[in-house]
Amino acid sequence: MTANTLVNSKLVCVALNDKAQLAALDATFNDAPYKKPPTQPVLYYKPRNTWSVDGAEVEWAKDFGSNDVAAMAVGASLGVVIGKETCRVSAEDALNYVNGYTIVSDFSLPEESYYRPDIKGKCLDTSAPVGPEIVAADKIANPDALTVSISVNGEQKSVFELANMERSVAELISIISRIMTLQPGEIIAVGFAGDRVAVAKGDKVVASIEGVGTLNNTLGGA
Amino acid sequence: MRHARIVFDGRELDIDIDANDRITTADGEVLDVALDSDQITWLPPVKAPGTIFALGINYADHATELAFEPPKEPLVFIKHANTLTGHKQVSYRPDGIEYQHYECELVAVIGKTGKNIKREEALDYVAGYTVCNDFAIRDYLENYYRPNLRVKSRDSLLPMGPWIVDTADIPNANALKLTTTVNGKLTQDGTTKDMIFDVPFVIEYLSKIMTLNPGDMICTGTPHGIVDCQPGDTIVCTIEDVCSLETRMVSEQEFYGDKY
Repeated sequence: MTANTLVNSKLVCVALNDKAQLAALDATFNDAPYKKPPTQPVLYYKPRNTWSVDGAEVEWAKDFGSNDVAAMAVGASLGVVIGKETCRVSAEDALNYVNGYTIVSDFSLPEESYYRPDIKGKCLDTSAPVGPEIVAADKIANPDALTVSISVNGEQKSVFELANMERSVAELISIISRIMTLQPGEIIAVGFAGDRVAVAKGDKVVASIEGVGTLNNTLGGA
Repeated sequence: MRHARIVFDGRELDIDIDANDRITTADGEVLDVALDSDQITWLPPVKAPGTIFALGINYADHATELAFEPPKEPLVFIKHANTLTGHKQVSYRPDGIEYQHYECELVAVIGKTGKNIKREEALDYVAGYTVCNDFAIRDYLENYYRPNLRVKSRDSLLPMGPWIVDTADIPNANALKLTTTVNGKLTQDGTTKDMIFDVPFVIEYLSKIMTLNPGDMICTGTPHGIVDCQPGDTIVCTIEDVCSLETRMVSEQEFYGDKY
């Protein structure tokens, strides 16, 4: 838990919000263990021990035998920062509750299954850098028109246009606010490219969104 | 000793409760009020709530008769403070659902930061125990990160308290009677000895993955015996030697009022 994290109290992430990923997985959704395609946003938390900042080192995870894990991956998302108490708002009204935007990198073990909450994969210490800052909402005309890119050691690895999200920023705020009342400073990571980027020890990872900023982190363990 | 947070006489107070039910505030003031007084408003007992870990499928009380194979590792999910409410407060039933049930659970409250904690030392990291009711709505279950947030992250659906009992006052947390009543009728009658993964095991498991911090909570799952609950029902979850947690169910409209 980093003292100067930009996150207040909660970081909600949306999985499976990339239309291309949903299409690619569609055939598996009717099989066990899923049995049916998701009808609702697929949500997970990055808890407070994961929160970190721009420039910080991300710990290389250990397995249950205290050995370094073989593989880690990263995804990056637009982070929507809530500006006021948000309870049961409509999609039409939802963007009025946004204080600003930032970037969330989600370092984890490779995503293998979406069946059970991925505590082992997602709850690693320092694995959710957020930053570099919060850009005021009025500086971003349309959050769904942004593009999130990831480069590793200077080489571009992933480009995700938020226009390809299954659900828009406003829809997600509305749906989530009907599950839980959101508080100022809480952040929603609205969507990640379906293909997570493999990373290695010592890699320099840069997540960027034009107009929002550049989030720089380095993997530990080297 | 027991510890709680209350509103009394317009003041929000951290209190200690001794073996004679005498209430003393953090400033040393003795309150002249009974524990069951309506003058006390009970707040969730953890002052600065951190990450709430909850366990699914963690009781084997029917393992023998059902030939059910217990899980090989804990099924853990995460909740946040928006779900918390206190003793004698309300929880809501969403509109248009078929089945919402209580889950009476023993809660271990973390009191010390730690990572890679050994089972043998795990209770040194536990400040105390309390009771929660980890409500679930079966209609909303989907097989993606199940139990999903729509089921388990709703406002008010994790009543907790009324107080935290010091760890030292519970010599064996796995020998406690666990019961739930709905409108006075016994509907759940179990014991914490049927827990599959006990608190030391779960602390070792979680702390291999991540750092645990003071204010984090571990809700340890519920045994067999759940029933649907409707607005107007009063649910009391009790764990022997820890506490009894009373909750009244209301409709979604009554709960959200102007925001409905």
